[in-house]
Amino acid sequence: MLQIRNLHASVGGKEILKGIDLTVKPGEIHALMGLNGAGKSTLSYVMAGHPAYTVTEGSVTYRGKDLLTMSPDERAHEGIFLSFQQPVEIPGVMMFNFMRAAINAKRKASGQEPIGASEFRTLMQEKRKLVGLDSRLANRGVNEGFSGGERKRNEIFQMAMLEPSLAILDETDSGLDVDALRIVGEGFNRLRKEDTSAIVITHYQRLLDYIRPDIVHVLIDGRIVKTGGPELATEIEQRGFDWIKETL
Amino acid sequence: MNQYLELFQEQRALIDSNSLPLLNSCREAAAEAFARLGFPTKRVERYKYTDVASAFAPEYGLKLDTPLSQQTIPDVVASRYGTLADVNDDAITALNTMLAQELTVVHIPAGERRQQPIRLTRQLHSTVPLMQNRRLIVVVEEGAEVSLLMSDQTDDDQDFLTTQVTEIFVGKGASVEVYDIERTNARCHRLHQLYADVSAGGRFLHTSFTATCGLTRNTTNVRLSGEGASTELLGTAIIDGQQHCDNNTLIDHAAPGCKSHELYKYVADEHATGAFAGRVLVRQEAQQTESQETNANLVCTPWARIYTQPMLEIYADDVQCSHGSTVGQMNEAALFYMQQRGIGADEARLLLKQAFTADVLNLIPFEPLRDWLRNLANRRFEGDLNHCRTCQLCGPTK
Ligand SMILES: Nc1ncnc2c1ncn2[C@@H]1O[C@H](COP(=O)(O)OP(=O)(O)O)[C@@H](O)[C@H]1O
Ligand SMILES: [Mg+2]
Repeated sequence: MLQIRNLHASVGGKEILKGIDLTVKPGEIHALMGLNGAGKSTLSYVMAGHPAYTVTEGSVTYRGKDLLTMSPDERAHEGIFLSFQQPVEIPGVMMFNFMRAAINAKRKASGQEPIGASEFRTLMQEKRKLVGLDSRLANRGVNEGFSGGERKRNEIFQMAMLEPSLAILDETDSGLDVDALRIVGEGFNRLRKEDTSAIVITHYQRLLDYIRPDIVHVLIDGRIVKTGGPELATEIEQRGFDWIKETL
Repeated sequence: MNQYLELFQEQRALIDSNSLPLLNSCREAAAEAFARLGFPTKRVERYKYTDVASAFAPEYGLKLDTPLSQQTIPDVVASRYGTLADVNDDAITALNTMLAQELTVVHIPAGERRQQPIRLTRQLHSTVPLMQNRRLIVVVEEGAEVSLLMSDQTDDDQDFLTTQVTEIFVGKGASVEVYDIERTNARCHRLHQLYADVSAGGRFLHTSFTATCGLTRNTTNVRLSGEGASTELLGTAIIDGQQHCDNNTLIDHAAPGCKSHELYKYVADEHATGAFAGRVLVRQEAQQTESQETNANLVCTPWARIYTQPMLEIYADDVQCSHGSTVGQMNEAALFYMQQRGIGADEARLLLKQAFTADVLNLIPFEPLRDWLRNLANRRFEGDLNHCRTCQLCGPTK
């Protein structure tokens, strides 16, 4: 479903990704681990089409289509969802309007009619409850005045609303206390559809206790240097990354 | 400039015969002041962002022979004419006083509370370049309440120049709300002067909404002359193309215990130019003043220009005042976030613009108008205001 081949990317003239190869099949969950600065967020931004990042080599194919030539919104319509490491605050843009614009844009792209107002309200209510956001959500600005935990829950809420086929969770667990982590982890599992694939970027095992990966990758200095099963995550949790570096 | 003085001298008889003795009695002094002041150049501090001369560049015609219907002006109104709008203070005020023939009067006697707003719709219509000099006086006596809905529009793609001088007297404990909505064409030049005096315990709200314009200069002078008076000045300007909008305000705290709140927001796209200069003067006697002034601007392109100059001048010691301005660009991170959710770039920009102007519109207390203006702003941002040229300000109360 997702095929990344020899992907090189740079930002501000500096090469960050130095030849990434990654294949994700429908319904698979991949964990991507690595130290700060390894290039994990860069990879997620490049896949989402962030204009600051330049792809210098390689390809990204999604469901047979070349992702790299698409605008960020087109990629979203194809089913790519990025849960941001640091979700931005957009004061004054109400969650209700924002979410409806997002859903309708997606519907339009697939030739569907806009969603009805009451249907939308019901949907929003149903999904926000699952991540423990209260009824004021609709009339709050996007992430405006949200706590760190609320922002992460809001990301999962949006994922549930948009029903992506590939969700990239960029450190969705960072800055969460155990309760918030449980809400996010369980929320993700409940809100994810069966054939939804995911790339879960994290430093720790704890989110992977909820979202169980099929495959675990280690990213160091812009390259995937090790790939294994779920046990690799446990090993990293216990031993850190240094032993992997030493084997290189 | 000479051409307007000559016109005045040559056509004096015609002007006077189609006007009121009250207005005629003030022309001579106005002409002298105008001759002395001349058109303001950009060297005049208050006009440094607006090229007034360019507004007078087209050869305008004037209609001086429109017969006036019978009008008796109450003494309380007549005695105040020209007392706030000092011809020696401003060339546009002088020019207007020299040439204006009609006088629009709003007089609300003591204690009368008008529930419905009074509408003043001005629709410019001409097949040749046209200059119009409008004059208004609003006297709201003790404890009375009124709101005015002023709409300024152009029908034809023609060169227009309007000068307008408005004098507003807010009596003790009275309340006056003025909503001034401009939707004029790119060839319209608007030079408006508004003067308000607020007596003790009185309240004056002024909302300026520039939806479209050519070259606009709005001068808004408010004097809080009685203890406990308050004013709120709210402004929104949505400008693009080559549009130019300059709001110049003065809030004069001349009595103790007065409050002022000012918020102006501009969204400048393409090659538009916006200017804001807001002076808050707190005189020595104006103790316990509370004043807050903010100008915030969203600049959408590298070519759009914003000049902002909030000024606070304080001569009293027991005051709470703040002022500030910001000029920002489109939040790129927010745009990317929205696009990642599937929202197209244009719509994402639209949402950011709407959000930017939302807080100033939220402050408008008159709910039907607030909704209507939100809608107007949205349509403006969507670029489809021209579809609605014939739609007058009919929405709010119908
Ligand atoms: N916009 C940017 N401009 C310059 N350097 C950047 C930018 N974004 C990321 N980097 C650099 O790229 C490297 C990888 O960053 P990032 O992808 O955020 O790593 P990770 O998510 O794995 O912690 C870091 O050295 C970081 O400083
Ligand atoms: Mg990161």
